[in-house]
Parts: sequence; C-alpha cells; structure tokens
Amino acid sequence: MSAAPLVQIHVPSMLRDACGGQSRLPLEASTVRAALASIEDRFPALYRSVCHETGAVRRHVNLFVNMDHIRDLQGIDTPLRVGDVIAILPAVSGG
Amino acid sequence: MPERMIVTIGTRKGLFVADAPKSRGKFTLRGPFGSGVAVYATLIDTRGTPRIYGSSCNAFFGMKLLYSTDLGKSFKETKSAPAFPKDDGRALANIWSLEAGAGKKDLLCGVEPASVFRSEDGGDSWEMVPGISNHEHSRKWEPGAGGLCLHTILRYGNRLHIGISTGGHYLSEDGGKTFKASNTGVGAGFAPDPYPEFGQCVHKIVGHKDAPGRLYMQNHGGWANWDGPGGPRPGIGVLRSDDHGHTWRSIANGLPSDFGFPIAVHPHDADTVYVLPLEPQTRTCPGATPAVWRSENGGESWKRLARGLPKKESFFTVQRDAMDIDELKSPALYFGTTTGQLWIGRDGGEDWKCLFDSLPPIHNVKVAVV
Repeated sequence: MSAAPLVQIHVPSMLRDACGGQSRLPLEASTVRAALASIEDRFPALYRSVCHETGAVRRHVNLFVNMDHIRDLQGIDTPLRVGDVIAILPAVSGG
Repeated sequence: MPERMIVTIGTRKGLFVADAPKSRGKFTLRGPFGSGVAVYATLIDTRGTPRIYGSSCNAFFGMKLLYSTDLGKSFKETKSAPAFPKDDGRALANIWSLEAGAGKKDLLCGVEPASVFRSEDGGDSWEMVPGISNHEHSRKWEPGAGGLCLHTILRYGNRLHIGISTGGHYLSEDGGKTFKASNTGVGAGFAPDPYPEFGQCVHKIVGHKDAPGRLYMQNHGGWANWDGPGGPRPGIGVLRSDDHGHTWRSIANGLPSDFGFPIAVHPHDADTVYVLPLEPQTRTCPGATPAVWRSENGGESWKRLARGLPKKESFFTVQRDAMDIDELKSPALYFGTTTGQLWIGRDGGEDWKCLFDSLPPIHNVKVAVV
C-alpha cells in the first residue's frame, strides 16, 4: 500500500497562533478531508477555526487546492497530489 | 420655500432625517421611521417634487420601501417592493442601494442576493433587470460577512456601473441590457489568483457627473503582507479609472491603510477624493484615531483631515454607504459611525463636529440640498 502524498497547508497569519506560529504545515493526505483530519489531530484549535462541530468547513472560510476553490473541484473529497498546497483563506466582505 | 440641507440617516433601528438651513446651521432630527427595522439604503430624489426613499428590511417579515413627499416629516410604504420572480429560486434578503433611473420616475435598486430591480413608477412596481441579475457569473458570486450585496449603481447616460461584494465591478454600455465584468487592475485578496476576472470584494465606487470617465473605487485592501499562494497585493484597496471603468490602477500610496469602506468625490472637482482608512483586521480607525484622508490630485498624494475628530480611543467602523458630501460651493462631508455618531466636516473636511452622538449604529448617510 502506497503512502499518501506529501502536501502542505498554508495557514493565514491570523490563525498561526493555533499551530505554533507555522505558516506552512507539511502533512501526508490523499484528500482534503484527510488533510483536515490530520490537522484536527495535530492542531485541534486550528481545525476548530476552519471547520465547525459538524465537520463542515465554516461558512466564511474558503479552501483552495493550489489555485482552485474546492467548491469547483470535489469539495472536501478533492484528491491531492504530491506538492499540492491547500490554502486557508477567509471569505471577506461586510460594511 | 427656502432651500434646506437634508441628511438621511439609515440605521439599524430605522430611518432618521436631519435638516438644517442651507447654511448648515442647527440640524433638527426626525425619526425613527420604520422604527426598529434596519435601513441600508436611502435616496433623496431631487428630480421634480422632492422625494425621500428608504429601505426598511425586516429580517423576520420581509422587505419594504418607504417614501416621503414632505421632506421626511412622514413616510408611507410604496405599493410594492422588489421581489424575485416566483420561479427564480432566490429570495430578497436586503436592499443595499437606491438610485435615480433614466426616466423622471425611474428608480434602480440594488439588493442582496446581488441583483438589480427597476421601477418606472416611483417605486410602486418593480421588475428585475436580467442582464446583471441573471448574469452568467451570478451563481458564482460569493457572499461574505456582509452578505452578497449589490451596493453600487452608478449611471452615466447609457453606461451603468455596478459594484458587488463579492462579485466585482460590472459595466453596461447599452443602458443596462448587458453587462461585462470589468476588473482589469482590481485585485482580490482572498483567492490565490490576485487578479481574477470577477469575484473581487468591491466596497464602493464613486464617479463625477462632469467627468464620467473618471471613477474611484474603495476595494477590499489589507493584503500587502499576504504570504500565501499568489503573493502580496499591496495597494489594491484604493483605485482609480480614467477610461469608464475598463481598467483600474492603485492610488493607495501615502494612505495609512488601503482598507476602508466609503469613498466620496468632491462635487465640483473630479480630482478631489476622500477615503476613510480602517485597519483591515478590526475595521476600526488606525491607532483608534479617526481621520478622513483627502487627495486633491486624483490620488497622487493624500492629506490627513482630523481637526475636531477624537484623538484617541475611537473604535468605530464607517460602513460603505455611511459617508457623503453635499454640493455647496465649499462642500461639507458627513459620515455616520457604527457607534451611532453623525459627524460633519465643513470646508471640505477641514473642520469636524459631531451633529448627533447617540443614534443607533449607522449604515447609510445621504445628503442633498432641497
């Protein structure tokens, strides 16, 4: 059985307190769901900032795999390849 | 009847109207009208017999449009408010902008979810404008914290400029029949692609009646230090166009922050523009000391205007439609805060004074001489 691909999660500055100040988290995951499970295990406070208690991504958080929103791929079941970067970005508006 | 200065103040708890002699002496406050219901859009329609309009969007019991024919002494409901067709699938959540249309009784209304409605009878009946409301991009626009709001409608002859958060700037050059995304040079901070075709979080767009090719935009800035995919995006928050919104360039250099919501242009000088910079994370004034910043050369340089404003401990936000400028020879600026203060900046913002200090949180401020 082959190992899951090595990918990275880019953490925005406002969430870095939840993962020891790191901006990039390397991890092995074959899907976005698996990557989220990994951060739930390693950095539960970061996970809670990205997903709410049902496991769904928070309404005002967007996840991108490289340049593409996971909404335009396969959601949190989007498969990952070696070197992919998952970027966590706030969905912003207001006023 | 002598001319009066009329200020409409849309708040979280209803619509207020302040009026004063044209000299801007003592302002008298009336209201709230539509008491208890949030007002995000107002219009002082000075065509013909003056009318004041105000949205009244009740999260529980739906949308209304109020109007006054006696300069804000009393308000009635229009016969109907904008509503999506039954088979559309969308439901109107808020009214974000009201503008005069081409005909004498025409009105244009921008709503959430982002769409435009048109009335030809002063607001008694409404029809959706499909060119923008059903645009091929419309199902890809995303709501942010403020909802998916269509907050800006600017009309210059056959050109219509639309601002959507988060959708970007759309331009029609055929009177509103068709629209194209027109965001060349408008950055986005919340996606890996710094310059997408559409999807920018535009906060407000203003123009000048005597220089319709010139536009200014307050976009969602604050991304100069972004270190993720796509890299930093300095200066994307305050922009200028000189070609009817086809292309845009940054004019943020010299400001303490390129984040903010409102933007206003001098009524008699298209080169004079005003912004109110905010911290991008807190959306409050940098250093807790509010100031309006003015450029008199189209954004090449900026001057801080703060005389009379608090010098410390001010943590309010000024929302996208909560700043306006009157049309007197030496105009005054007006802005309302989320802490319920209405400020006036006479002499083009040189000298500030608080007119009312305990209103509900303010969403909208419009001013006109009537």
